[in-house]
Amino acid sequence: MTLIATESLVVKRGGATLLDNLTLSLGPTGSVAVIGPNGAGKSTLLRTLAGIELPTSGRVCIGGQDLTSLSGAARAQAVGYVPQHFAPHWDLSVSELVRLGAERTGQIDHDMIDKALADYELEALQHRRWSTLSGGERARTLLAMVLSVDPPVLLADEPAASLDIRHRLDVVRALAERGRDRLSVVVMHDLDLALRFFERVILLDRGRVEVDCSASDLAADQNLDRVFGVTFERYKTLFGPALHAR
Amino acid sequence: MKIWIVLLVALVAAVIVAACAGHDWASPADLVRAVSGDQAMRSRLLFEWRMPRVLAAALVGALLGLGGAMFQGVFRNPLAEPYLLGSAGGAGLGAAIALLVPLGAPQSIMLPLLAFVGAWGSTVVVIAVSRVAGAVDTAGMLLAGVAVAALLTALRSFLILALSDETMNLQVVLSWILGGVQTPTWGGLGLLALVSLACLGLTMLFARGLDVLGLGEAMASTFGVNVKRFIGLAVLAGSVVVAAAVAFGGLVAFVGLASPHIARWLIGSRHKPLLPASALIGAIVVTLADAIARSALPPAEIPLGLVTAIAGAPFFIVLLARRLRA
Repeated sequence: MTLIATESLVVKRGGATLLDNLTLSLGPTGSVAVIGPNGAGKSTLLRTLAGIELPTSGRVCIGGQDLTSLSGAARAQAVGYVPQHFAPHWDLSVSELVRLGAERTGQIDHDMIDKALADYELEALQHRRWSTLSGGERARTLLAMVLSVDPPVLLADEPAASLDIRHRLDVVRALAERGRDRLSVVVMHDLDLALRFFERVILLDRGRVEVDCSASDLAADQNLDRVFGVTFERYKTLFGPALHAR
Repeated sequence: MKIWIVLLVALVAAVIVAACAGHDWASPADLVRAVSGDQAMRSRLLFEWRMPRVLAAALVGALLGLGGAMFQGVFRNPLAEPYLLGSAGGAGLGAAIALLVPLGAPQSIMLPLLAFVGAWGSTVVVIAVSRVAGAVDTAGMLLAGVAVAALLTALRSFLILALSDETMNLQVVLSWILGGVQTPTWGGLGLLALVSLACLGLTMLFARGLDVLGLGEAMASTFGVNVKRFIGLAVLAGSVVVAAAVAFGGLVAFVGLASPHIARWLIGSRHKPLLPASALIGAIVVTLADAIARSALPPAEIPLGLVTAIAGAPFFIVLLARRLRA
């Protein structure tokens, strides 16, 4: 069964081809990591799936419907998007931010807001302003905002990259575990965490899918070395395969 | 809740103080007598001239506060000024035409009408220019605003030089450009009050969208906002508010910049309370500034725009310095 499908997706901006005839199908559950070198089109893919970028040609379907045919509220309910850099322009409090996230379907549901605050352990912080939060607290607030409406699809653009290792593990684990009963697609720069936590890994290069397979198969794939332009040492660890660039 | 009561009490106090102020100071008892229909010359002057002027100043201030909150919200820049998008230049040109070109209609109608058309029209031109130039983002619009404003100011200066003579002199145009609330009739004041209420209603429609836009354009898009369309509509609505303020109050600087700031300090950044709070603060500020303009150098009147600029420019510089240091 397919929840999100892209058909011959092409995105061109200013003469550059960012996504090149990309066809992809994603089921209703599962944790999917998107990896690739800089400029491979990872963020563009995610932004196009989220409906932020419009494809130059081809289309994105979600639940069998063209993404562009959905109303704003329906799209907001269906897809949660976590950007790489989130910097609100106004210094809102945690509860105000979560409330804005929860209200995006057009209904105000106080239980939803309370639940999101509880799920991400934000009750004690709810009156604190964004500018006073630590990196980890910000990441939790962002997830609470985006996931408050429990969207069937989560698209996250490596939100943990700048966090320290403990918080990074927490966030990546939470994103991957969401794949048990929902679809969770996460752009990852850290290959080890991608291989360790995600079931399926999509390797992008120059706007195309190079490899699309399980994490364990990908670890052994020689294309990985070619696409990243390095030679990887492969290790087996307690947590599964690990890579070390030589 | 408490803060709203404080703001309302402050506004009422400001209106009473301003109604007393002038080159001929009145006491609150004089005001009561004037309102209760006393036919003495002094009471009638207070009722027919000073009171409508004071209330008009309050409403113009409310419109400026509202327009400022709207523009800062759309551009997500606390230093954005409503006049940045050319509305001041357009209003100035419209006013210069109304004051200098014989148009066969009474000036009391043509002046606010052409100022409104100029202010709103120039904002539409700025949006169109930034569209054609392919720069619909904030910076693109602001730069297009600077360019259009320069052009409109040049046109206005040419008009003034070409058309002013002994009967239609420079000073009339200049004093309007420097800003000053016209004294309306009570009927005119009623119209201004209706326009102000309509503007409040209009801007409140954008409150939630402005909150979401403040999360960034990508987030706003995934939260269901059609970002480009929303920004276009919000700028048009904001410029209607500013154009109304300019039509009734001339070019009054810095109120639109300062009011949303003070409102944000008092009640936070969500636009649903921010918009009306900014309107209340704008009303208080302009009421007091207009009182100073009328009473500081009797019997002359200082242009209102000069008073707000003298108070507002240092405010702006402090904000800028704080922002750059942060």
